[in-house]
Amino acid sequence: MGPPLRLNAVAFVSAQNHPILIRTFSQPKQDELKYHYIAHTSLDVIDERITAAGATKSTGCYLGLLYVEDVAVYGFMTPTKVKIIIALELSDNVVRDADVITIFKALHTAYRRSVANPFLRLNVPSDNVTDHSLLVAAGGQKWKLFRQRIDEICGAVTLPGAAA
Amino acid sequence: MNNGNSNAPQRATITYTAPHTFLATEHWKQVYAALLSQLPLRNLHWKSASRPNIRTIQELDVNLVPAEGRRDEHTSQIPQTVLEKPLLNAYIVVCDDAETYKNTVKKQIKDWHTSATQRKNQEWLIIHVVRPDSKAAAQRMFQMKTSVLDKIRADFNMEKKDRCVQLVWSYDSQDNLTVWAELINKLKEGILSAFDTAITQREDEVKRSEGQRQMPGWNFCTFFILKESLATSFEGMNLHDDALETYNELEALFFEVLKEKNLSWFGTLITPAPKDDSVPLLSTSKKPYRDLILANTISIFDFRIYLLARQCAILHNMHHLIEVAQKSVAFLGAFGRRLREVEDSLPKFFVESWTYASALSVVEQCDAWAKGLEFPKVALASFNALKGELVELARHQLDTIGIRVGHLPNRPPFSIGLPSQVSQTLGKSVSNRTSLQISQGEVVKALSDKDAFFTLYVKITNRAIELYAAAGRRKFALKMHGSLAALDVHRDRLTNALQTFSSLPAHYAPHGWTSLEAYMLCQALDIHSSVGKARDRDWVYILLDFLKAYIQDLGKELLMVESDHMNYVTDLVEALRVAAQSAPSEMTHHDHPAISVTISDGNARTAEGRDGAVLDVILNNMLPCPLPMDEVSVSLSGRDGSKIHFVENVKSLSPGKNKMPLFCHSAAAGTYSLHSAQIKMSNLTLQWVHSPPPTGKASRAKRPPVLVRIPKDLHAVDIRLRQSQRIQLGKTPSIVAVFTPGRNHIRTATVKLTAPSGIQFKFGEASLLSASNGELVTSDDSITLSGVELNTSVSISIPHSDASAFHAMRVNIIVEYTTTAEPDVHRTLQLVRFVLTALPVAINVEDFFRGTRLFTRFTLSSTSPQHVRILTTDLISQGKGNDGLKIVRSRSQTRRLTTITPAQPGRFLFQMDSVRGQERDPLHLRITYRMLREEVEQVIESVIDTVLEASESSRTKRPEILEILVQALEKDASWVSLYELTGELVIPNVSTEDEGIGEALDEIKKMLNQPRQLEEFSSEWREIVIPVDVPQMHILASASLQIASNPFSRDPARSLDLFAGQPIHAILTIRTSFHWAPTEDSHTSSYQMRFDIEEMSKDWLVSGRKRGDFTALDNNTFTTSVTLIALHHGELPLPKVAVTALPIPGEGRMKAPLLPSCETYQVHGAQTVLVLPRGGRSTFVVNMGESP
Repeated sequence: MGPPLRLNAVAFVSAQNHPILIRTFSQPKQDELKYHYIAHTSLDVIDERITAAGATKSTGCYLGLLYVEDVAVYGFMTPTKVKIIIALELSDNVVRDADVITIFKALHTAYRRSVANPFLRLNVPSDNVTDHSLLVAAGGQKWKLFRQRIDEICGAVTLPGAAA
Repeated sequence: MNNGNSNAPQRATITYTAPHTFLATEHWKQVYAALLSQLPLRNLHWKSASRPNIRTIQELDVNLVPAEGRRDEHTSQIPQTVLEKPLLNAYIVVCDDAETYKNTVKKQIKDWHTSATQRKNQEWLIIHVVRPDSKAAAQRMFQMKTSVLDKIRADFNMEKKDRCVQLVWSYDSQDNLTVWAELINKLKEGILSAFDTAITQREDEVKRSEGQRQMPGWNFCTFFILKESLATSFEGMNLHDDALETYNELEALFFEVLKEKNLSWFGTLITPAPKDDSVPLLSTSKKPYRDLILANTISIFDFRIYLLARQCAILHNMHHLIEVAQKSVAFLGAFGRRLREVEDSLPKFFVESWTYASALSVVEQCDAWAKGLEFPKVALASFNALKGELVELARHQLDTIGIRVGHLPNRPPFSIGLPSQVSQTLGKSVSNRTSLQISQGEVVKALSDKDAFFTLYVKITNRAIELYAAAGRRKFALKMHGSLAALDVHRDRLTNALQTFSSLPAHYAPHGWTSLEAYMLCQALDIHSSVGKARDRDWVYILLDFLKAYIQDLGKELLMVESDHMNYVTDLVEALRVAAQSAPSEMTHHDHPAISVTISDGNARTAEGRDGAVLDVILNNMLPCPLPMDEVSVSLSGRDGSKIHFVENVKSLSPGKNKMPLFCHSAAAGTYSLHSAQIKMSNLTLQWVHSPPPTGKASRAKRPPVLVRIPKDLHAVDIRLRQSQRIQLGKTPSIVAVFTPGRNHIRTATVKLTAPSGIQFKFGEASLLSASNGELVTSDDSITLSGVELNTSVSISIPHSDASAFHAMRVNIIVEYTTTAEPDVHRTLQLVRFVLTALPVAINVEDFFRGTRLFTRFTLSSTSPQHVRILTTDLISQGKGNDGLKIVRSRSQTRRLTTITPAQPGRFLFQMDSVRGQERDPLHLRITYRMLREEVEQVIESVIDTVLEASESSRTKRPEILEILVQALEKDASWVSLYELTGELVIPNVSTEDEGIGEALDEIKKMLNQPRQLEEFSSEWREIVIPVDVPQMHILASASLQIASNPFSRDPARSLDLFAGQPIHAILTIRTSFHWAPTEDSHTSSYQMRFDIEEMSKDWLVSGRKRGDFTALDNNTFTTSVTLIALHHGELPLPKVAVTALPIPGEGRMKAPLLPSCETYQVHGAQTVLVLPRGGRSTFVVNMGESP
């Protein structure tokens, strides 16, 4: 049972590296740019990790600590290659991977449930159901529930005792 | 170690002892040197009871020291590495002689052995050095005696383990490895065994101590030193994995202690010492760490650094430099954060300076360690990436410092590196600073000197960019570029910044990182305006890109710089309008997503009151402000590539959805697909091409075509084509174009016809047909009509080149016209029409010659499924009528229409009587006809006109009513047969929603249902004129076979009774006439001919001249007689007589025989003769039976 983690930002990035949703929770709004940068730059590191993982035939979704830049950036890739990136407040404590993975699993579930929304396919021509823009659209302003779910997860993580 | 670290691990030690006399000899020196050359030991396999796997030590350096010089230090309380004491003690014996051994050497060994065996955790070994030759000699001489070695063994080696070894060595054999093998093995065994015992013992101690952790009096530092001794021992034995593992366990334990908040064993978190912020991070010797630990006064700062440095040192020994960098980055980040908690008690900028210096020192250290190491490609990339991260970390410290000192503004991207809570406390007055100053030279200089700061900033950033580029981390490098550009902005190097900010968006756009793209574009726009650069084409494109990014969800998120989006964007859009106006040339931008143009309904409307169609489109403006513009247009493409444009002038487009009707003044009815939409704003055109170009990439997502149907406007200008009223074969064909202006007064209308099949229209010879108003001007490629009144129609006959090869002709029509109502609007109508070119009827001719008369029968049949109504057929001589040809038409009593269909042809018979030998004028067959459909349409139209005469209101509805009726008739054919006979037109079910029409419609139906004389119905009749030649015949022969009166009969007038079997005298008469001979052959007075009486072997026997030649003369008769015998009784036809002309020998040189044409008719062809049965009696005698 570690000390509570502080979740600063969550980013969902599609398999084609399109941002789906970038959500920041830290207070000064100025940091928004920082987390967008983090989400973007993390893709480089994730690529490196995937290449490395491909060499070792590892199949885990969890990509571990990507890098440290005044926040600790962790990565996760779902089986459909959607990347989830979170930025945790740096602390001098040991962050257990299990805790981070729990967060990722919760985020992944939130995304999965949002993409399963049948109304996403409304107004989309039926012949390109595989179009990934659909999956990107899940993060749009229109779909409030997804954001709400993410915010709930963040709240649960930051509350002490809820992370595990 | 290569950095001169005094904490170099202790090596394993072997002591040796030997008699002083031997040690002084040259022989020993040689042996010693040879032994050293065998070191270091290789491939040691350590099997420990407490570890599951065998550890292999690839290489082990060993110290070989004389035992004398080495004094047992009194054991200190501080646990040292187990290697501090020798692991192995060796005694070297040189003695070939058993006697000597017994007397002196044994004693010496005994003394040594006693002391060696007493030492704990040490092994001993006796090495018996012999020369090979002496050994051989000894063996020969004392075969039966035990050797000295055996004796030594017997004396000292009490245990099972053999601790005695013989080294057979001479100076000559030093290269021979086998000589050493046994000794080396023994050395390895000894070392490992001793090491194992020592480690096991030490590990037990550690375990015991760890077990007491919860007890009072346990001290972390003491424990740390104890356990660290294990690590250094492992390190000394080159067991790096185990050493690292030990340190990791220590680190974990430290964190556990930290969590328990039990840090009484440490000093303060940090007691900054001078230079603390500038010394290399990974040096373990920069402070007396172990002493500090032992004294329980080490600060956590120092302790953590020490731990990290030790770990990194071991990692370096394992050549795991990537992990060194990784660990350092994580440590600097995490511990830097920790230090900030006590920042107030530290020298100003200590944390930044320390992080900066440490990060750079780690990079240098790594580079130094990496020298001479080969990395695989992937590893090299990640090594570079981590170094990049370190440099970036250092850069972030510069950001922080810069903002605090005021070199940099406190806003993104510089404030990115600021730790969040620190940025809040920024500017707080700091009271209890220590008097210490930071010592990192570069940082100190940068603090005071702004330019030095910038130079340093750029240098460090560029270094990070280089490293990231080498690592393939493009996105990191982009971020760094962005910060450099931001610095340029701050330093007022705007041109550079503008260049960077204009080029960066392109990197973010492709994957939809609109937030970053919008940020960069926004920066670029700001710089652009602050530079005061002209708002040129580039600026417009940047702005459009910005708006594109802006309307995306993510795009707005980063624009917090602008407090009021709405105003910001409104200003930009206004600026865009101004820029578009002043732009020197046209600009086109494709597929801008800020505005979308959709067609609300697939059906266009007709524009009431004027020609054209109206299409409703929905324009969705996603910008938050109105968008000024000039014009909206939508292009539709129809079949054959024809395009129509719907246009509307719009001043401004308010945000959200706008529905607006677009007008197209010349829209032909039909189905079109959406091609593109355009918005014009002065010189700027925004375009959305809907249908992909034919050569477009397949990867582009296919959008389904959007179809638009344009209804037919019955009151609009229209052109119909039809076959010419009068078709005369052999003359230039022509078609009739019927121009109906509908509701318009036409000022001018230019009509162009083209036929894709290659048929040429002769516009120059076009002419107005009668009953047409307006004026016609012809030119080479078009005809122009002017002054056409409304609701009239103009028919123009246009000749064209031969089209008989085609059944129908496709004609593309382009009409450009202006109306008096809208003289400025030039409308262009594109139409496609089909017109039949084939004759509607097929004609067959049969001729029958009878003397001076000729009967001609024409058989007309319809070539199409349509019914053709034929009024009259006339055969007309084209001459003046003085050629003596009289034509008589067979005339039925009443003038009636004849209907011909493909199944029911019509026959028309004419008789001609001619005078011989005259040149005959050609004849024309003129057929007056109309198609059933046309007739019915005209009937309906006339009825409609009569009915509508009464009601003024529904007159405008005339085209609609006509349309309804025609459609009703097309659906059902049951009315046809009744109509053809009686003229009563029964309209099948008709319904209409229009109240006004309904009443009139009923009346019209009633009137149509009355019988009418269609012959009298005045409507347009069509004509076909076909040239017909009067047929010619050289010889016309009439053959007759006449039964001659019985020469014996008294009454020649009395008809003859003929009996079967009776010979009958018959006269064959052939009358020949040259009446129909062609005029050029009229001089011929005679032809040679042949007759042939038909063989009718079942009916007649012919006797006499059955076949014969004769000379035929004009109007002459050839007579011959034959005898016929009827073979049976009954009505028998007389045999036919075939008469043929014989070829005339050719005249002149050619000599080709000429066969004159000849036709024969049988005068008696329909005659039969009655043949009676033969009369008379016959007697038959029948035998009635035999008499007895």
